Amino acid sequence: MTGSSLPAADAANYPLNCWYVVATSDEVGSDLLARQILGERLVLFRRRDGGIGVLADRCAHRAAPLSMGSLIDDQVVCRYHGFTYTSSGACVRVPSQVHVPYGARVVSYPVREKGSFVWVWLGNPARSATTEPADPPELRDDGWATLGGSVRVAANYMLLHDNALDRTHFPYVHPHRIHRGYVEGPPPLTIEVSETTVSYRRTFAPAPLVDWQHEATGLPLDATYVQREVGTFVSPALHVDEMDIIGPEPDGQVFRGVFVRAFTPIDPANTLVIWRAARNYAQADESVTERLREVYEGTMAEDQPLLEAIQARGGGVGHDVSAVADAATIRAYQIVDALLTEERGRAGRGGPGDRRH
Amino acid sequence: MSTGEASGTAMSTVFSERRGDLVVVAREVRADGVVSLTLADPTGAPLPAWTPGAHIDLLLDDDLVRQYSLCGSPDDPHRWRIGVLLNAGGRGGSQRVHETLEVGDEVAVRGPRNHFPLHAAPSYVFIAGGIGITPILPMITAATAAGADWRLYYGGRSKPTMAFLDELAQHSDHVVVWPDDERGMLPLEEILGTPVDGTLVYCCGPEGLLSATEGWCAAWPSGTLHLERFAAKQQAAPAAGEGAFDVVCQRSGVTVSVPPGTSIIDVLEANGVSALSSCMEGVCGTCETRVLDGRPDHRDSLLTEDERESNEYMMICVSRSRSERLVLDL
Repeated sequence: MTGSSLPAADAANYPLNCWYVVATSDEVGSDLLARQILGERLVLFRRRDGGIGVLADRCAHRAAPLSMGSLIDDQVVCRYHGFTYTSSGACVRVPSQVHVPYGARVVSYPVREKGSFVWVWLGNPARSATTEPADPPELRDDGWATLGGSVRVAANYMLLHDNALDRTHFPYVHPHRIHRGYVEGPPPLTIEVSETTVSYRRTFAPAPLVDWQHEATGLPLDATYVQREVGTFVSPALHVDEMDIIGPEPDGQVFRGVFVRAFTPIDPANTLVIWRAARNYAQADESVTERLREVYEGTMAEDQPLLEAIQARGGGVGHDVSAVADAATIRAYQIVDALLTEERGRAGRGGPGDRRH
Repeated sequence: MSTGEASGTAMSTVFSERRGDLVVVAREVRADGVVSLTLADPTGAPLPAWTPGAHIDLLLDDDLVRQYSLCGSPDDPHRWRIGVLLNAGGRGGSQRVHETLEVGDEVAVRGPRNHFPLHAAPSYVFIAGGIGITPILPMITAATAAGADWRLYYGGRSKPTMAFLDELAQHSDHVVVWPDDERGMLPLEEILGTPVDGTLVYCCGPEGLLSATEGWCAAWPSGTLHLERFAAKQQAAPAAGEGAFDVVCQRSGVTVSVPPGTSIIDVLEANGVSALSSCMEGVCGTCETRVLDGRPDHRDSLLTEDERESNEYMMICVSRSRSERLVLDL
């Protein structure tokens, strides 16, 4: 199915039955962490056994934020009246009386920690048991050095997916970051779809590196190298890019950068981007780490004002025209639309994926 | 670096479905004339995720592509299972599968795609005829896991021809097995005679069953019935002739002329416009394309009467045009 009438990027257009990254591992400790995602207010904490609890950030009694309370002996104690909850959400103590009021509990959400990402499931908990969050091995394995950060963008998460799957904005938004292969007859863009994913791929003819590539890899500026890029919409929560520079013969060492971005909706107009970049070369070189940090953060900072301006003006409602190269982004919208229709039943959203039901 | 040099930045885009070579890891006879094949990636890599109702293409030869529903578990990322009915009177696809695909053989596979997705509902009526049971099997597992209420009515010629009865035995209080030789045709009047709001009906099987089910569901709330065809429907005489017409591809801005006797999709391919297709018969829905202007002459087996009238989508592998020009979202 193809459709230019894309769903409004200003409504709650995120499926709940999906793992989303809520925090990074180092953010969750013995202090209560308040975080809002998918329109839900959550409180996160780490138990003494290392496991993580995620509860609704709202006491069952008088709705005080539990995140204003304390974590004592793996239990969350509400600041207001001392209602005490375990990480399963059960209320186990009400200081003013002997027995806990019947039915006193808060929602506890399924959580997974994979590498440095903390994932949470806000949909039907029964469905979370049959699927695991993505776990890119490059973020965990020896042989890869990782850097990362997070940034809040005032734009709907689908605008971020659209931007991540698109290559045609690079000469306009990131002209100083790209090698000449982008602007001197780029190779064909191959877009591959399946029911639940879409990816793009292209391989450039040999071209000289740009400055940051030379500084990071140590390869000289006066030679030419084949480069490859692949980007994948892994789920509504995650986009992964791989960029390869193929070193000279005889070994043809592949200098690979893997850029993982979690696009976690905070609400329809705001997204938390938690990102990690891994590389399989110069792993121990801190100056390379800092140079790459500047490249990744700088690139995202170049997109951000555009996306926020689009969001501020109604956020992508009424795309009238698409270009041929938009096939990947259109497919991502269709995949999300199908998930929303499947999840919401007959009262679907309306859009290309919903047309028959 | 200067930007915006149109000729320097122009590029071509090739759009296709995911495709790979999979190996047959198991082959079982499931009933008279039905084998199931289990497929896996030869490297052991996980396969693309899918949801109940999805199907894949087996690319058996250059001109021999067949669609098969995935009937295994979506929770197993490493294996896909299909069930194949030997159709002795067909064009040879199922014979090729039955007679030549053994454990250890590789086969080219494309997809998955899903034009028969299971939507959330508190209750379902599943109606399967013969090999139409295949897309329904993962649906009943999903319905059970979601805690929905459901019944499956499974018809077939005779029990020996009906596959997967063993797997259905664990759901015996929800499943009615109705072999034609023992009980006659499925009693659709009893099953569908009384519309129930909130219940969705999913049906897959031979044309006679599908038409009859469509008839009984006419009285149900709109959007209740979801069905999947495995074979093209007999078409009424086409609304327009076989004359030439123009197709404007909105995204690329290219206009092509479609001569008599050539499908829109073939003309697009010849002109370098990427579009997906599979069955080339107007059954599978892969080539479904949004129509931005013009009046299609629908010749497919998928769209309902309302959908045909709205002219919002068309199947470009078989359908033509009643207007001189169509503008398509391509």
